[in-house]
Amino acid sequence: MSVVFDGSSLKAMQSSHSHTAPTALSAQELSQEIKSFISGVDAVQGRKLSVREHARCAVRLLRSVPACRGAVLEHLRGVYDEHVSAFLHNLEMEGNASSGATSNLEDIIQEVHGVLSEFIRLNPRAWAPLVSTWAVDLLGQLSSKHAGRRVAPHSSSLNELLQLWMSCAATRSLMEAYSQCLAAMLAWCPDACVDALLDTSVKHSPHFDWVVAHIGSAFPGTIISRVLACGLKDFCSHGAKDQGPPVEKGSRVPKIGSVVGILGHLAAHHSDSIRKELLRMFRESLTPSTPLSPTSSSTSWEASPQLRRAAVPFLLQLAAMSPNLFGAVSSELVELLRPPVLLQLQSLLQGLPREELDNMLGLAVHLVSQSPTGGARVLRFLADTATPASVIISGPTPSPNEGVREGCDRLLQMLLLHLHKLVFNRSDGAEVGPFSSASSSSQPQRVIPFLEELRSHVGQLCAETLRLERKRHLWLHQLLCLLSVYGGLSLATETLCQLLTQARNPEELALAWQLHTTLSSCMAGLVPAAAAHCVAQIHTHTLAPRQLRQLLLNLASAIQSQDEERRGAAGAQSSMAVQIGSAVSGHLHDFGPLLLHGDPAVSHAAARLLSCSPLPRTSSPAHLLLLSRAAVSHFFLALQRRGEARRAGRAVGQTGEAVSCSVLLLSRLAAYAPLTLKAILQQLVEGALHKGNAHLFGGQIADMSGAPVTSPAVSPDLGASLLDINCRFGTTVNFSGSVWSVFHAGVIGKGLKARAAPNLPDPPGVIQNIQTLLAVIVQCCSSSSLNGSQSPADPDEPLPINPEAAKVVAVTLVENVCPDVANGELSWPPEEHARTTVERDIHIRRCFEAHPVLFPLLQVVAAGRPALCYCSAVLRGLLATLLSHWEGSREASSTDSPWHLQASSLLVSCMGEGQLLPPVLANVHEAFAHLTPFEVRLLLLAVWEYVRGNGPLPQKFVFSSDKGVFCRDFSRDGDVSRYVAPIHSVLHKNIDRLGHLCWRFQL
Amino acid sequence: MGDIRQSLLPRDVLSAAKELLYHLDIYICNMVQSGRQPPQVDSKTLDLIEEFILHTPKDRNAPVRRMSALQELQLLEIMCSCFQEQSRETVRQLMFSALFNLQGNQADESRMALLSKLVSMAVAVGRVPILECAAVWLQRTHRLYCVRLVQVLVDDYCSMVPGSGPTLQNIHSASPRFCCQFITAVTTLYDLTSDELTPPLELLQMIVSWIQDDPRLVLITFLNSPLSGSQPISALDVTPLGGLIRWCVKAPLAYRRDRKQAVANGSSDGEPDAARLFSALHLSVLQVLMLLPNILNEKGLFGRLALLQMESVAALTSDLSRLLDQADKHTHAATGDAHAASQLALDRLAQALQVAMASGALLCSREDLRAICSRLPHNNLLQLVLSGPVMYYNNIHTPPLAYSPHAAHSPIPAHAALPTLPAHTPHTPLSSIPASHAQYPAQPFMTGMPFPFRPGH
Repeated sequence: MSVVFDGSSLKAMQSSHSHTAPTALSAQELSQEIKSFISGVDAVQGRKLSVREHARCAVRLLRSVPACRGAVLEHLRGVYDEHVSAFLHNLEMEGNASSGATSNLEDIIQEVHGVLSEFIRLNPRAWAPLVSTWAVDLLGQLSSKHAGRRVAPHSSSLNELLQLWMSCAATRSLMEAYSQCLAAMLAWCPDACVDALLDTSVKHSPHFDWVVAHIGSAFPGTIISRVLACGLKDFCSHGAKDQGPPVEKGSRVPKIGSVVGILGHLAAHHSDSIRKELLRMFRESLTPSTPLSPTSSSTSWEASPQLRRAAVPFLLQLAAMSPNLFGAVSSELVELLRPPVLLQLQSLLQGLPREELDNMLGLAVHLVSQSPTGGARVLRFLADTATPASVIISGPTPSPNEGVREGCDRLLQMLLLHLHKLVFNRSDGAEVGPFSSASSSSQPQRVIPFLEELRSHVGQLCAETLRLERKRHLWLHQLLCLLSVYGGLSLATETLCQLLTQARNPEELALAWQLHTTLSSCMAGLVPAAAAHCVAQIHTHTLAPRQLRQLLLNLASAIQSQDEERRGAAGAQSSMAVQIGSAVSGHLHDFGPLLLHGDPAVSHAAARLLSCSPLPRTSSPAHLLLLSRAAVSHFFLALQRRGEARRAGRAVGQTGEAVSCSVLLLSRLAAYAPLTLKAILQQLVEGALHKGNAHLFGGQIADMSGAPVTSPAVSPDLGASLLDINCRFGTTVNFSGSVWSVFHAGVIGKGLKARAAPNLPDPPGVIQNIQTLLAVIVQCCSSSSLNGSQSPADPDEPLPINPEAAKVVAVTLVENVCPDVANGELSWPPEEHARTTVERDIHIRRCFEAHPVLFPLLQVVAAGRPALCYCSAVLRGLLATLLSHWEGSREASSTDSPWHLQASSLLVSCMGEGQLLPPVLANVHEAFAHLTPFEVRLLLLAVWEYVRGNGPLPQKFVFSSDKGVFCRDFSRDGDVSRYVAPIHSVLHKNIDRLGHLCWRFQL
Repeated sequence: MGDIRQSLLPRDVLSAAKELLYHLDIYICNMVQSGRQPPQVDSKTLDLIEEFILHTPKDRNAPVRRMSALQELQLLEIMCSCFQEQSRETVRQLMFSALFNLQGNQADESRMALLSKLVSMAVAVGRVPILECAAVWLQRTHRLYCVRLVQVLVDDYCSMVPGSGPTLQNIHSASPRFCCQFITAVTTLYDLTSDELTPPLELLQMIVSWIQDDPRLVLITFLNSPLSGSQPISALDVTPLGGLIRWCVKAPLAYRRDRKQAVANGSSDGEPDAARLFSALHLSVLQVLMLLPNILNEKGLFGRLALLQMESVAALTSDLSRLLDQADKHTHAATGDAHAASQLALDRLAQALQVAMASGALLCSREDLRAICSRLPHNNLLQLVLSGPVMYYNNIHTPPLAYSPHAAHSPIPAHAALPTLPAHTPHTPLSSIPASHAQYPAQPFMTGMPFPFRPGH
């Protein structure tokens, strides 16, 4: 809004004046002129002078009689005043009055302005002080005199005032003149000039602000510091009684209002210099008074200890009154508060009376809570400073002394209290509930800038809280509570999630419970929301593996605490734990995939969580299947890791725990529903036989034929080309399973296939794995919900294997071992018919050879009578190959072919266990090791015969309710004795060695 | 007179002042007519003046009455006409001194302010009586205050109001006495020690033209004033000669300093002007000095009255040597200009000393002079002046046995009345002179005597 006179016209006027200037006026004429001027009457003609003529006369005197200077300037005041009156009157009349008078005076004002500015230009040293004082004084007078006019805007609206006055020629001209003076004087004595300005500003306080503001924006550097100094002096002289919330006290408005107004106006364009000045003031008020410090040359306030002491309260007050100024300073202020500065501040403030300090404290708290930016930094600063010094925990800054610390402590507590009030009184008693978001639209909630800003720093705050540093975490925790209440459900959720994610031990986790306890009173649905939030984070992959793991573990331990507490230790966490449990159970399928997370720690944590979380009451099959698949996969992964850990010689604890978690999870899942049970068993069996996992259980990777595959590097290229074969035969008929198919001992003409040496790298590991697998399967089978809720009378006695579950295992086994379903019926054909299935039988045998785990599985199946019936095909195939082996064997003793011996024994004992054989027949395996291969064959043949005669059909089993298991009543079947005859013969033959077994074969 | 206070109190400031002036006029007229000796205004009247014209609060409780600038202007106007209309000079003088003689109290500040404005206005509107009174005031008042008054005038006419120089120029014709005192005060004020104290070119021009037009102007005060004991000790010199010599001698050095700045600023047109002006001034000063022997002889004061004091010469030489030192320091490779300037200064000093001694304005022995000038750098002319015999003194006057100030009294037979004076005030030999002059009653140029110099009368 710079207003410039029309330069050309001005110059023309000046030049015309200098031409017509009455240089030639004689002494006589001058004396006449003076008389006219004094009397206002034309001395020659005796008529009254018009305002215009009078003013002209004055200007002439100004140019020729130096002694009249004062009087002329005084007279011109009246002229200016008149012009302003006319101008305002015109405005009030909305311009319908003739503007003659105004324009009349306007040109005389321009004339005066021309003369004055010419003078200033020619001799600034002499004229600038004079004119500046005059102009400022007159401006002050004019603005306060006409402040009450209807058209004059209220003194608080600086910009409108500025607009009004700058459109008035008189005030504009004065302003111009003053600016010119100031510009001239800045070089040699700015102080005098500005002091006059401010003195006037004080005299005409609110009405004059526009002048200072305008000048200030023209000369920011000079004005700002002076305005501040002036405000400080005034503040100091008003004393402490005006502190606290700014209250307009009638006519006596403290100058601080003006200061704020002016600086506020300047802040738009010069916030940087204002900030510098404010900070400088702060700094200098703290530096101990050096009587002749070089910096204090510009302003004088530093010299007075009283003023220096008042500077800090003054700045606080200033900041409280103007958000602009506060914003400008706050960001850098914290940086400034280093320990030495704090010490100085403390020593400065020690001298203040108690209530003043309290006031300041209140003010500071208010400011902090209202600060829109830098809240986090302020908070950190406060907490750092207030945290007691410790040998162990050293904060980022060396702790200042105790007094400062206490001060900060107090400030922080007050701040928390204040925020507490703000937060809980925010909606004036309206319910702050989780669902008040709907009502909040109708009633806008009061914004607390400090908390608003901290919203984005929740993560950091949580992290700092969890550091559990002495008092610090208490404050921060309190703040988090407030923040959560303030931010509503979403923020509370985030906070809780953050805590859950970041807590690393039970003590830290307890903070989350505390937070929940506090919030639960006013916020429902927090835990489900938090859980949902966590899940969302999982889905978006925003968490690093470590965090993810921590989160899962924390959730798990939360749920586990529920169990503990159920055991007796009632705590406040009960509802929390229950809620978390139910919340997690709702999201099980979301956690499921984490079981297969690439990071073992994460998957372990997921297993732990899932294993302890309650299962949902209902769940979709798809989810369940996914979950169970994931669980089974994880089980095998866990086994694998355990093995690796063992091999690497590391402690197995972690991985072992993972396995047990996995086992627990599987058994729980299996118990949950028939569907899951089935799926899990199926997958367990499949998995155990899968080539990826087979090595865990001592298995070797088998090819389609069931023979172990030699690694390509080992097996030389035999030159067998499938293409050649196909060309030769012309068709690609698959002969497998038929009598025509080629034996798999090798390619004809090339000799036998090289058998890969069976390598069992880790026998104890294999055994352990098999044990674990069996344990899982047994647990699944026995704990299944199929057999109702019958609890065993004796808790030590293991639960019986569930037949259905066993059937699942059996079916899966058959499917995997014997994919060829030809001749798949349960009943057995005569032994000779086995020739038709030679290839399949060999496949089955090789399977058993390759997977030692099959026998234990068979045993499990056998235990779940009558499930073994469904394995009939496998049993038959295995038995057939064993028979042919023993038939062709030319060894002296059966022990010479150990695998076959073991397989035979296991097979028979399984069948006995599964009650496919009566006990007499089942016991024959005990004798195998003492017999020749032929005799073994005889016994096995007897077994075959029996099974052929008495088919392995499930319907032959009946449920005996007293034992709770199915049993077969062999008495219903045909006479056993005819099958026992070969046994007895063999016994006779070898009575010397088998005598001790005779009793086993009594009918 | 004191009884009118009650009647003045209720008036407004302006009319009260006006009325007081009126009463003062009558009072003084009465006093002069009654022939009371010495004519003295009593203290009550002075108090009234302070209260109602100068507006000095009488006691703390009294409200401060202030005049607005307009009222002040009116008052000044009234004063102007008042002095103009009063035909008797004695009355005017008494009134002026009643109003403006310094009383050494707190009213002096406003007194000075009012006086300055009054004189400034009188210059503008050509009020001769006031200027005459002011000339007398300048003779009697402490030089510090004189300097202040002159400062205001110079500010007003030479710097504040452009184009008003000619108005000031007119004082020469309006009141030569005032003009002479003005020059004395101006040379006292501007001693060329700093930029602040260097006379404005306009002023210099004015003074040079005055003296060139009429060299005797500088002697008017000396010629017109009774050399009585009423001359206060710290008053201005009787003539501006000392100040003018100082100007001329120091100018080459001082203005060279200026010129350096001017060259830096890119304009050097002022310097030759100044040099030329000072050169002319120097000539005029020498001419005035040459006039002195006749005048002094007429008065019978030759060899008794030192118009140039030894102290001021000593101060000048020490100043000069300091300046030359400085100039040397500043220009290590002394340029031709610098050398020429310093030689010019020394030449002027030598000339002035020589002529002053010859014309009896400076009373001292060569030994003293040598002592004073010992620190100055070499200059041929100065050397000559310091060493050479002064032959022609004998032709004009019987030379004193010695020109030492201690011996200066020896030709005067009757000074036994004040035998201890020289011992008491060895540094102010002049102070003893007026005392001795009191014994020369028949001086043709004493106050009141028509003096052929003034052509205007």
